[in-house]
Amino acid sequence: MRGLIVRRLLQSIPLLVLISVLVFALLQAVPGGPLSAYLENPNVRPQDIERLRAAMGLDRPLAEQYLSWLSAFVRGDWGYSFADGRPVFDRVLERVPATLELVGASTLLALCIALPVGVLASVHRLFDRISSFGAVAGISLPVFWFGLLLQLVFAITLGWLPSSGRTSFGVSSFADRVAHLILPVMVLAAVQAAAWSRYLRRAMRETVGRPFMNAARVRGVSERGVLLRHALPNALGPFITVVLLDAAMMASGAVVTESVFAWPGVGSLFTESLVKRDYPVLMAFLMFGAVAVMVLNLIADIAVRTIDPRARGAT
Amino acid sequence: MTRLSFLLSRRSTLGLAASFCCTFAACGGDTARSGPSNELLIVGYDREPDTMNRYATHILEDIESCVVEGLVTNDENMQIIPVLAAEIPTTENGGVVVRADGGMDVTWKLRPGVKWHDGVSHTSADVKFTVDAINKGDWKPESVDGFDRISSVDNPDSLTAIVHYKEVYAPYQLQFVRGTLPRHVLEGRDLNTANDYNRAPLGTGPYKVKEWKTGEYILLERAEGYWRGAEYPKIKQLLFRFLTNTTTRINLLKSGEVHMVALVAWDKVRELTAISGLRMNRVVGNGYEHVTLNQRHFTPFAEVKVRQALAHAVDRDLLVRTILDGQVAVVNGPIQPLSPAYEPKVPTYGFDPARARTLLAEAGWVPGADGIRAKNGQRLAFTLITQSGFAIRENVSQALQEAFRDVGAEMTVKLLDGTSISSVWFKGDFDAMLHWWQMGADPELTLFFAGDRMPPAGRNINYINDAELTSLLYRSDRTADVAQRNELLREAQRRIAALAPEIVLYNTAKIDAVPKALKGFTGNPTNAGPFWNVHLWEIGTP
Repeated sequence: MRGLIVRRLLQSIPLLVLISVLVFALLQAVPGGPLSAYLENPNVRPQDIERLRAAMGLDRPLAEQYLSWLSAFVRGDWGYSFADGRPVFDRVLERVPATLELVGASTLLALCIALPVGVLASVHRLFDRISSFGAVAGISLPVFWFGLLLQLVFAITLGWLPSSGRTSFGVSSFADRVAHLILPVMVLAAVQAAAWSRYLRRAMRETVGRPFMNAARVRGVSERGVLLRHALPNALGPFITVVLLDAAMMASGAVVTESVFAWPGVGSLFTESLVKRDYPVLMAFLMFGAVAVMVLNLIADIAVRTIDPRARGAT
Repeated sequence: MTRLSFLLSRRSTLGLAASFCCTFAACGGDTARSGPSNELLIVGYDREPDTMNRYATHILEDIESCVVEGLVTNDENMQIIPVLAAEIPTTENGGVVVRADGGMDVTWKLRPGVKWHDGVSHTSADVKFTVDAINKGDWKPESVDGFDRISSVDNPDSLTAIVHYKEVYAPYQLQFVRGTLPRHVLEGRDLNTANDYNRAPLGTGPYKVKEWKTGEYILLERAEGYWRGAEYPKIKQLLFRFLTNTTTRINLLKSGEVHMVALVAWDKVRELTAISGLRMNRVVGNGYEHVTLNQRHFTPFAEVKVRQALAHAVDRDLLVRTILDGQVAVVNGPIQPLSPAYEPKVPTYGFDPARARTLLAEAGWVPGADGIRAKNGQRLAFTLITQSGFAIRENVSQALQEAFRDVGAEMTVKLLDGTSISSVWFKGDFDAMLHWWQMGADPELTLFFAGDRMPPAGRNINYINDAELTSLLYRSDRTADVAQRNELLREAQRRIAALAPEIVLYNTAKIDAVPKALKGFTGNPTNAGPFWNVHLWEIGTP
């Protein structure tokens, strides 16, 4: 296991460098730049633009800009945000707890839905039909629209829940925090639960038909036992990989949900920084996303090996 | 067939549902929505400020201006009024003297008795420090316009600052509209990294920053000992919630979670009018929506008759009545009606397609087989760029397309995101563009219309180069007397209208959604913003 971890970490270094080159090049290729916003203000003169460009180091050749970013980044210096002049590390870090809270809660809720639904759908035909209808709806719902719809119903019409933000101003109770979580979590969880339940259903179906299942039944194991103790662990391996990778994607990309619900996480920081072309923050964010995917991928591999002895020999 | 109940009994299902409902109800109980009060007013704000330093921010200074006051500001009628200055210096009151060497001296008399929030007096040394800090060159303020023409500042006494300009600088009255920097706090420090100041600046204004929760809100609270008197400001706390999504902002107004929203999109006004307890406050804006015609990139625009014909082809009254829902007014030039320099009597281009066709025919543009006019083998076909995701602009573009086609011009619409579009127009890489300019309170036009102010030297993206106009504009810049300068600017507006370098559509009216119970709110046409008189605001009975 230790060998696997070391090997994976070593493999990830060239990959991360490659990703950083690609991301840097792509950001530069997007039209507009950090100074675009200044152009709209008639009081900002061309001399000001040139002065600011030099101050931000944007007048240097691209290769030089990249190399100086890379050398600073590996030394732990993520630079300063073009937008507000604060250290990038601080700006990203202060947004992480909100995103972890949102992603953690929605992953948990999605699992609570996907696990029973996936298992039941694999064995119960009528339930399968109903749940597959629900799943298709969940997958196809535009997040943006669904979020606004929930706001309309639960915050405006019924007035039960706050429509956005992480806390109510001046209130610091646990219930208030939960109340703010409910709508964005419902949106994120709906999509994930839909996809994951279908995935688990298929994995279960594949397992249920295999000979060892009948062997278990012959040994007198109850139908519930066969499903939960024999079929489910077999189907869980690939399922966990999907869940963890999706969670990694969510951690770096609950962009739409965070925007609709004014959730102060890294997703809304990304949107804001993209509009401002705040390169240092965008680079840090995208690298953070890449690392999150790699780490969770590794965790998924370890988890699969722990659950499934057959996977332990694989590299 | 396996029965459903083997995993989840009916009892446990019901129990789960009941506990879910209880959680919902329990959570909802904490989110009581109280209306606006003199204790707290919640503002739905469309973006988080980059910094609270007024000189460094590149977005509107609404929140900053509640904390840091300028020497002057402008009111809802665009009149420049003194704040920390005791009076506005003019040639008449002796505050402005043009020197024999062509330079200019402006004497600012400061209001006595003004203190920073830490109790230290606000003095002319702060004015001098501000000029020096900006001119030192190691800091990143957004614009140093005007400051770089200042050679020095003298402080004969603690309430007098004499600003020496190297040349006549007509917009001098607004030089310190962003206030001053506190010398006793910032002297000897690097302003780029002085984040204590940049996040919670020391000001003289009615409010100070109590908390800035990144990504969520800025909370301002009443500054004790405000110089206007203990009765100001009347509202204890202002909470600015950052809500970047337009629909979310409107939803929160509806649910009562925010009390007011500044700058409502014109096509949303009707939807909000229905909300009881809300009032739509409308003021004439100091900006104008127009179609820029880049005559360098698409040479047919260099012909005045082509430009005039296209202007005649557009039914602006219809656009305003329909797409703009009647929320704005048609205007005819770059200086807006509230400005003291506004000239109402300019040549106008009413909706007259027949006249448009005649003008094009006179200019030698004849219709081809497809109905599109051509001259010397070139078709009258061009591309208009505008901002994507801005429904009104997308709709207006389509209407323009139709109108131009009707007189024999073909226009293709290309949508670009808000950030990309600036770099495109700054390079001059477009034929036509639908956009607005939000002008400063000063009526300067040189930057937009002088022949030598094409990018990168300015914002003349029509690429118009008219010697008479350029001369008028530069003369206006070098005239210290306000009345004489305005006369030159009026002449310039008549010249611009005759040349029709761009198709002027409508004024960018500013509409703010505010509680009916909010007294003292007037709105503001310029970037001084609706919070310019926040100290007077009070929640009364609607």
